[in-house]
Amino acid sequence: MSPTCPSARGVTMALDVEEIRSHFPILQRILPNGKPLVYFDNAATSQKPLVVIDAMSDFYKQYHANAHRANHTLADESTAALEGARDRISRFFGTSEDQMIYTGSATEAMNLVAYGWARYNLEEGDVVVTTEMEHHANIVPWQELSKEKGIELRYVPIDVENFTLDYDAMEVAIQGASLVCVGHVSNVLGVRNEIERVIEMAHSVGARVALDSAQGAPHERIRFDELGADFCSIAAHKMAGPTGIGCLLVKSEALDEMGPFLTGGSIVKRVSKEDTLFQDGYAMFETGTPRMAEAIGWHAAVDWLEENIDFREAHDYVHEISSWMATQMRNIPGITVFGNPEKEEAIGVISFLHDTIQAQDLGYLLDAGGFAVRTGHHCAQPLMEAMGVGSTNRASVWFYNTMEEAEAFVAHLTNIVERFS
Amino acid sequence: MPDDSEWSEEIVEIVDRFQSCFDDMERLELLFEYAEKHPSSLPMDMWNDENMVHGCQSRAHVVCSLNDGGGFMVEGGADAQIVQGLMAITAIAVNGQPPEKVAEHDPSYIEGMGLSRILTPSRANGFMNMVRKVKQEASSLM
Repeated sequence: MSPTCPSARGVTMALDVEEIRSHFPILQRILPNGKPLVYFDNAATSQKPLVVIDAMSDFYKQYHANAHRANHTLADESTAALEGARDRISRFFGTSEDQMIYTGSATEAMNLVAYGWARYNLEEGDVVVTTEMEHHANIVPWQELSKEKGIELRYVPIDVENFTLDYDAMEVAIQGASLVCVGHVSNVLGVRNEIERVIEMAHSVGARVALDSAQGAPHERIRFDELGADFCSIAAHKMAGPTGIGCLLVKSEALDEMGPFLTGGSIVKRVSKEDTLFQDGYAMFETGTPRMAEAIGWHAAVDWLEENIDFREAHDYVHEISSWMATQMRNIPGITVFGNPEKEEAIGVISFLHDTIQAQDLGYLLDAGGFAVRTGHHCAQPLMEAMGVGSTNRASVWFYNTMEEAEAFVAHLTNIVERFS
Repeated sequence: MPDDSEWSEEIVEIVDRFQSCFDDMERLELLFEYAEKHPSSLPMDMWNDENMVHGCQSRAHVVCSLNDGGGFMVEGGADAQIVQGLMAITAIAVNGQPPEKVAEHDPSYIEGMGLSRILTPSRANGFMNMVRKVKQEASSLM
């Protein structure tokens, strides 16, 4: 059965998945145990199309040199590629290059909000709001800043019955807040938070909004300027790009309020023994040798996505697969699926546990069948606590996965439960 | 091939059983079986920070002692059955041995059992930490 054809359940798959898969060499991998790889760990990191790998390789083979630092041909080419990538990537995210700061990761981007904006603008007693649903990247920087500056940190709880944010509690929590930091999509539950509502609520009380879109960006086109958030953190590696690079999108008014975070070379106009005059705008935040190969790889990734992926179709396709998997898994004795992956707006993530097979064991047993899933607390321990568990197994689907893989996964999981519980 | 000259008859038999498995799933099934019949399982109420094995992805604890005859004894407990199974086989290999011999213990049977592929570096790290702790305890009991 071709993945491009209607599946056995009468589901029409609009994407030409077979063609898409041909761009990802790793998806042809046979594991050491002889099993073909089935990669369901996309929320941890996505695989890369060949054009990304080739673009980075070509950079090192043909025009590698340090950008922004010399007048020779290679340095000019490298600088042009780095800045060309900024222009292209920022347009992909619906904004302009002057509102995009390269970072090492989405985590570093959120630290940049904490230490480049909040540290300069918040005083003792000011309020930062985050939620129980967040990745540690959107909790720990605020805890640390709270210790340093005496800011008040408030947590919006989750509605444990519906596995969503408790928006009524959020209405209360944001009163008097200066900054609201919220995840676009939960990396554990796959729930897409009502970010437009959060932005409106936060702005109505005069608070700035920082979105952690590490999990959102791979599944929907972000139009930063239209969205209206003040900050938005993104990781390239979760959306077909390389590891080691991400960005912080920043509204220009917020950028004007920021001060230096990591300091050193490249970000200065002049340095004397007594003081430093920093560059303006995004250039103030990119110290050290730029992430050139990574930016070039990310540029290739967004070009590839633009050319090959309709995000709406991809979302529907991923949802067909993940909602089917969740429904089937709920029927396997002893399996609990957390959250509501079947909801239309959910994004391809299925967190689950078996009531007698320990999560690490289940991860190994799935791996023995060739299935790559994540096991652990997913860097979201406050959420785990709210859910009353220490860890989960997590299968996460992206557009290159197939219904055949989903069927094989459910069959293997059923087999594991029959043999090991 | 691993050096099997130091393996006891029981370990040779265990290695044979694992070698006759059809695939990794069967090997893991057998490992779960050994977890169930750990010869010196450590009850959960004795798990504490002091006897915890660090570096395991799951919780694991070992307590070492000498029996009346001066032979080494390791009690082990883990929340993951795969780890518990590895502990059980290690206990079979070392229990009753003189501590001097346990201090030099080489878990080469893991390779013989065909588990080295299942024990990827991050998983093997936890297992090797457990073996290291057993060997250190054996040295201190000499």
